[in-house]
Amino acid sequence: MYNADASTLEQGGTPKLNYLNNGFTLKSWLLTKDHKRIAIMYLITVSLFFMAGGLYASAIRLELLTPDSDLLQTATYNKVFTQHGILMIFFFLIPSIPAVLGNFFLPIMIGAKDLALPRINLISLYIYWIGGAFTVWALLQGGVDTGWTFYTPYSTTFSNTYVMAVGLGIFINGFSSILTGLNFIVTVHTMRAPGMTWFRLPLFVWAQYATSLVMILGTPVIAITVLLLAIERVARVGIFDPAIGGDPILFQHMFWFYSHPAVYIMVLPGMGVVSELISNFSRKKIFGYEFIAFSSIAIAVFGFLVWGHHMFVSGQSIYAGLVFSFLTMVVAVPSAIKMFNWTATLYKGSISFDTPMLYGLGFMGLFLIGGLTGLFLGAIGLTVHLTDTYFVVAHFHYVMVGGQVIAYLGGIHYWWPKMTGKMYSEFWGRISAMLVFIGFNLTFFPQFILGYQGMPRRYASYPAELQVLNIFSTAGASVLGVGMLMPVVYLLHSLVWGKPAGDNPWMLPGLEWRTSSPPPTENFEVMPVVTWEAYEFGEDSGLNFDEARRKESVTTVS
Amino acid sequence: MSSHEGSDKFVYHEPGLQHQFEDMGQQEESVSIGMWMFLVQEIMFFGGLFTAYLVFRSRYPMAFAAGSNHLDAFWGGLNTLVLIVSSLTMALTVYYAQKSNRNMQVILIVLTMFFGAVFLGVKAIEYTDKYNHGLVPVAGLNKRIKEDPNAHHETKPCWDVDHNAPVVEHPNPRGEFLWTDCSLAKQAEDGKFLTASERVGYYSNGVIDANKFRDKVRIFYFIYFVMTGLHALHMIVGLGLMTWLLWTAWRGNYTADYYMPVEMSGLYWHFVDIVWIFLFPLLYLLGRHFLH
Amino acid sequence: MAEHHEEHHEEHDHMNIPKYIGIFMILVVGTILTYYAATIDLDFIFPGANTLVALGIAFTKMTFVMLFFMHVYWSPKLIWLSVLASFFWLAIMFAYTMQDYLTRDFGVFTG
Repeated sequence: MYNADASTLEQGGTPKLNYLNNGFTLKSWLLTKDHKRIAIMYLITVSLFFMAGGLYASAIRLELLTPDSDLLQTATYNKVFTQHGILMIFFFLIPSIPAVLGNFFLPIMIGAKDLALPRINLISLYIYWIGGAFTVWALLQGGVDTGWTFYTPYSTTFSNTYVMAVGLGIFINGFSSILTGLNFIVTVHTMRAPGMTWFRLPLFVWAQYATSLVMILGTPVIAITVLLLAIERVARVGIFDPAIGGDPILFQHMFWFYSHPAVYIMVLPGMGVVSELISNFSRKKIFGYEFIAFSSIAIAVFGFLVWGHHMFVSGQSIYAGLVFSFLTMVVAVPSAIKMFNWTATLYKGSISFDTPMLYGLGFMGLFLIGGLTGLFLGAIGLTVHLTDTYFVVAHFHYVMVGGQVIAYLGGIHYWWPKMTGKMYSEFWGRISAMLVFIGFNLTFFPQFILGYQGMPRRYASYPAELQVLNIFSTAGASVLGVGMLMPVVYLLHSLVWGKPAGDNPWMLPGLEWRTSSPPPTENFEVMPVVTWEAYEFGEDSGLNFDEARRKESVTTVS
Repeated sequence: MSSHEGSDKFVYHEPGLQHQFEDMGQQEESVSIGMWMFLVQEIMFFGGLFTAYLVFRSRYPMAFAAGSNHLDAFWGGLNTLVLIVSSLTMALTVYYAQKSNRNMQVILIVLTMFFGAVFLGVKAIEYTDKYNHGLVPVAGLNKRIKEDPNAHHETKPCWDVDHNAPVVEHPNPRGEFLWTDCSLAKQAEDGKFLTASERVGYYSNGVIDANKFRDKVRIFYFIYFVMTGLHALHMIVGLGLMTWLLWTAWRGNYTADYYMPVEMSGLYWHFVDIVWIFLFPLLYLLGRHFLH
Repeated sequence: MAEHHEEHHEEHDHMNIPKYIGIFMILVVGTILTYYAATIDLDFIFPGANTLVALGIAFTKMTFVMLFFMHVYWSPKLIWLSVLASFFWLAIMFAYTMQDYLTRDFGVFTG
């Protein structure tokens, strides 16, 4: 375990008590109430799930190098893409930014000692572990092949795989999400430091708040849906089997009622991180603060009104399709508002192309493409041609990976010095950011073309004439894989051999940069009183940038 | 680790104040918002089931009415009253906690638990009745009744049912879901108020099909069991919560200065009551007005 | 931040045992009313009138439990907002699901 004492002693300084060296026993970690330790434990688990999901992705891309189903049998391939989806969505994308970066930084950014309900936070972690363990056990037993969407009646009646066990794992995991969201909402309402009004909050906090609303309102519905699925599977009778008068489309309605807002649970925190990155690395107050804040809430609300756009060709009525299509166009508007505001923030900013900023800029470009292609899919005429093709796969990977994962990586790099007290290698950081960007585009852009040409998703084999683009895609995936493994190496390297970071390595006005790196257990030596606006780069911020620069130069000379 | 490190002031901490809060007011506000957020999520949880109910009731209203009529509205109504009484005793528990009256708190918690247990007891009676009459929607989970080889097998159409005749036990050798009375479907057909789905869903070759009607009634019972079962599960959790509350109230933990756990437990209990307030009319009182 | 102490205790001064019992009696009356209203065929008013009456009584009972037993009447605005928001969200789920089922047989485009 990283030992703060050793590194500070190297410089001749006295060892400072921070959240990492405040107790070294296993018990002090596993029974902790410190939101920062809980965040680190989430970080480790979430990274493991990401790598597992990545292994499945590698299997998919390797299989798709050739048109025939030669590497994997179709039945196995079904399990592989299903499990890739389940691990990535439920165990990586949904918890990642909220449970890691949100848990760590929400209390610090509002000037609080901890979250409002620390024991609930710990229980949320335990539930995540239990749900994850259950799901992993089920995957090792033989897994599921229904697709992460578990459509009935295949999942209730015909599939011979571990649907119930995986469903149960997801059910349990859902409560982790709910408790995290609950905690964040309470914390933002009651734990803000004196002077920290709603409109002085960093936009990351607004994004987390909006995300938490979605978590509370949406996750219970997937819980009850999965429960009904499990009951129907066991009892061999239920409401989704058409043979006895049930309705498989009801399952889809209930499933997507959550799963569409779920994508906003994934992307809203990412947008929150990007707001931080763009503003801070342009050293400029963010443009349109209120617009971005309210657009987060708008996305959270409108996100609940569009779920039928996953069901255009499933059998829902045309009129419902019309309504959902129109609302899908509407929900794009708040996201566009953010894009415009970020761009305006960049204009005449003092931009530094540090690794986090590279990720932030990458997000803007990739989420733009992903979002626009979502509009293609929201238009009923086009969607009939594009549904269940690789166009859809490319679209959601652009927003999920090009959006959320890149924002997550950007946030990890941005806040790494604060979390660990160490600076990573900027050289390798920039290289891997660029590799991720190039690899990602090479992987997924050809998939838009493939989809348009008709290659169906979830198929292990495809017509021979589509092979060239598939080879590009797999080649890109290799580059992407390298780009994503590199941070694992240089970030872990920095824990032991990295330069000590100092309190404010990026020289920024945010509250989290006004406490030590790593922060003490109760976050601040003295509870702050906030008198400045968010993203205040001028003198009103109360931060003496010259002195901060002087302190930085002292600590970074080692 | 205390944020008062370095200060020599002795700071009085109110009893029960957790370390992350500055004062009891902040703690109370946080706990209250937290509990309400939990209830919001519970509302959405049950809401999914109400959605399923809504969809199927709008499609097959007569099957739902038929299924509902066989539920005993007396027991259902009694349970409703029982829960309302338990809500009263729960509200009074909070009242007496606010007044630091330990003995009344304990008495009222015991009463609340008693009525909660009565509720569960009545549910057990109801479920047993379903078991005995072949109304559990899962095959094999009903009482097996051997076929009488000497019985006279009549082949009447399923809507030709004499409601005044004494109830006869139908043979059920494999413990399956049994339903033979589709008279309400006929009533709707004659009165021309079948829905479009019903006009397809109940019929085979233009005639009301007993098996198809039975399948739709079984969907009603599936929803009935899942909804009341989930509700009963929440009651059991509530009783567990009350047990903890009883223990801590007996130890005198709750006074006018610190009674939030009682209030929060009360919120949960009232929520469970509210769910039943909706379940009762929607499940038990659907089709009474069709019976003449 | 620390001035919330008074808010939770308002009902202290307003609710007393007779009032709790009064609310209880209203709930009991509502239950009996809903039971008997269900036995009368109200479809002559319009089809579905029975359901509307039953739901109306249920909503009223729920309102009384929420306002007075759960003390929402004296709770901060945030709680009111949470309660109203959850019903609004339920309404979204019901309405948007049903808009599919109810428009399945419409006019020109069948299914």
